[in-house]
Amino acid sequence: MTEMGTTVTKEQNSSAAKIAAESVSSRFGEAGVVAEVASHSAGKKYDFVRIRCSGTQWRAVAKHLKYECGVNHCAMVSGTHYPEGGSEKGWEVAYHMNRWPIHNVEAHTMTVHKGEELKGDDIPVEFEIFIDLPAGDAPSVPSIQDLWVGADWNEKETWDLVGIDFEGHENMHRVLNPHDSPVGFHPLQRQHKIRYHDFNEMYDDPQGFGRKPVDEGRVK
Amino acid sequence: MAEMWITMGPQHPMTHGLWTLRVKVDGETVTDTEAELGYIHRGVEKICEARDFTQITPYCDRLCYVSAMTWAHSYIMAAEDLLEAEVPERAEYIRLMAAEVQRLASHLMWLGAFGPDIGNLTLMTWCLRDREMFLDLLQELGGSRMHYNYPRVGGVKRDIPIGWANRLKAKVRLFENRINEYEMLLDESTIWLVRLQGVGYATAEDQIDAGVTGPNIRAAGVNADARWTNPYSVYDEVDWEPAVEKPTSIKGADCYDRYRVRMEEMRQSCRMLLDAIEKIPGGANTHYQPGDEMIITKAPTRAPEGSTGFSTYECTRGVSNFYLQGGGDSRGKNPYRVSIRSPMFITIPYVAKTMIGYKVADIPAIMGSFDPCIGETDR
Repeated sequence: MTEMGTTVTKEQNSSAAKIAAESVSSRFGEAGVVAEVASHSAGKKYDFVRIRCSGTQWRAVAKHLKYECGVNHCAMVSGTHYPEGGSEKGWEVAYHMNRWPIHNVEAHTMTVHKGEELKGDDIPVEFEIFIDLPAGDAPSVPSIQDLWVGADWNEKETWDLVGIDFEGHENMHRVLNPHDSPVGFHPLQRQHKIRYHDFNEMYDDPQGFGRKPVDEGRVK
Repeated sequence: MAEMWITMGPQHPMTHGLWTLRVKVDGETVTDTEAELGYIHRGVEKICEARDFTQITPYCDRLCYVSAMTWAHSYIMAAEDLLEAEVPERAEYIRLMAAEVQRLASHLMWLGAFGPDIGNLTLMTWCLRDREMFLDLLQELGGSRMHYNYPRVGGVKRDIPIGWANRLKAKVRLFENRINEYEMLLDESTIWLVRLQGVGYATAEDQIDAGVTGPNIRAAGVNADARWTNPYSVYDEVDWEPAVEKPTSIKGADCYDRYRVRMEEMRQSCRMLLDAIEKIPGGANTHYQPGDEMIITKAPTRAPEGSTGFSTYECTRGVSNFYLQGGGDSRGKNPYRVSIRSPMFITIPYVAKTMIGYKVADIPAIMGSFDPCIGETDR
């Protein structure tokens, strides 16, 4: 029991997140892209970069993230439907990405990073990108399928479940729902309620306290 | 020779679950593939929107039936991020140990299922024998053999029972010897080498670009591991180092490297467990009552509108993420949206494409070496 597990220190993390956020805002700040350092509110409370941009700016921001900030992992794409969000925010797409120090190695060699000794672009940073989409029946954002292969199936899933269209995505098809699902059926949209046997209200009343007997109000 | 499409699955030993691999073959050579998922899609994300934060935990257990503890832990970290809950250090240690015991059980299930793929049928019985030791330990914590519902927002459900530490130590020491036995059996077994070496090459950069993480990428010569790149829990306080393997070719890691890295990872989990049980605050043979502030703190149950929670977690098969949105008063104690990133959902389509160029007979070896789990894939 001599040495401890390796880790990334808080100082490394905050300085790397700050540099990455500044890099995005110096390039796109005038265009209205907001990039700031935020921190998690539990656990180790580490910092990450939170970016807000519009759908039209997204491709440019994504390219900057990939080629200037070294983001190499597109972790997840999450769509959300806001039927009561107003005309400006009917839908939201959240991307979560990471920069990790991962490079190919020669045969019979390996890279063993010591977290505490990483510098510059090798320090892992987490990115969170929010894109608000206007209300309407056809939400759409540009696809980043060609930038990260990992975005491919994430985008397919988001279209399949939430119904957000990814412009320029090749070979879009259902991945979790059956292939013969009706066109326009995307179950995570808010108009679809969870039904539990005959109880339509399960969605807003999961414990069933508000349930009424079927002969409610009738003379017995 | 004419090319044709053949369908492997949904019922096929190679799939380790329910999904279909469509393979285009030219004679014995794979020329194209297509993965079809979604056979056991249960709509967990939708169901979670109608449950409160504690009620969601059992659904996350059931995302992956061989690695329930890590998935519940991953969810609970996102919920704590959303609800701004503090976790006592003893609870963090208990969660770490629970997660590492689960990692051992999960890797044993992988090895047990991988053996028959390669032609070693006996391996299944041996691995399940050892896995049962660890499931017993987890059963003592959660009360159930596979789905524990153990972590809570702000801590854990129950403290470790009296004597659990001693049983853990005995089982881990026994298992460390068993790993040696497995290696003696497999490392130089002719069948094992012939089936695994030189097939299923994948480089580190290709894998991370495609979103493949976890042991699969560590087999390609990089020690990337969310336990230190995105630090959480108390992994910086215990004695371990990420398992990493030297790939055998410039083309990346082959199936044999991925087998080796998981064996090494089991050793590291054992090392971590033995160290954590010594360092746990409050002592390993003390039992605090449920609700004691040593193991759980009071956490808010409602999340304000517009708040978000996110977790990055090194699950047994790669990095899992949860993204939660709070809904404010109108949603009560329920979240507005729960989004789950399953490592295998991204990995399976990637693996399907890496099979191109190999023989049909290599498909079970390549697929099995990436450790697919369909419960988490389809959600």
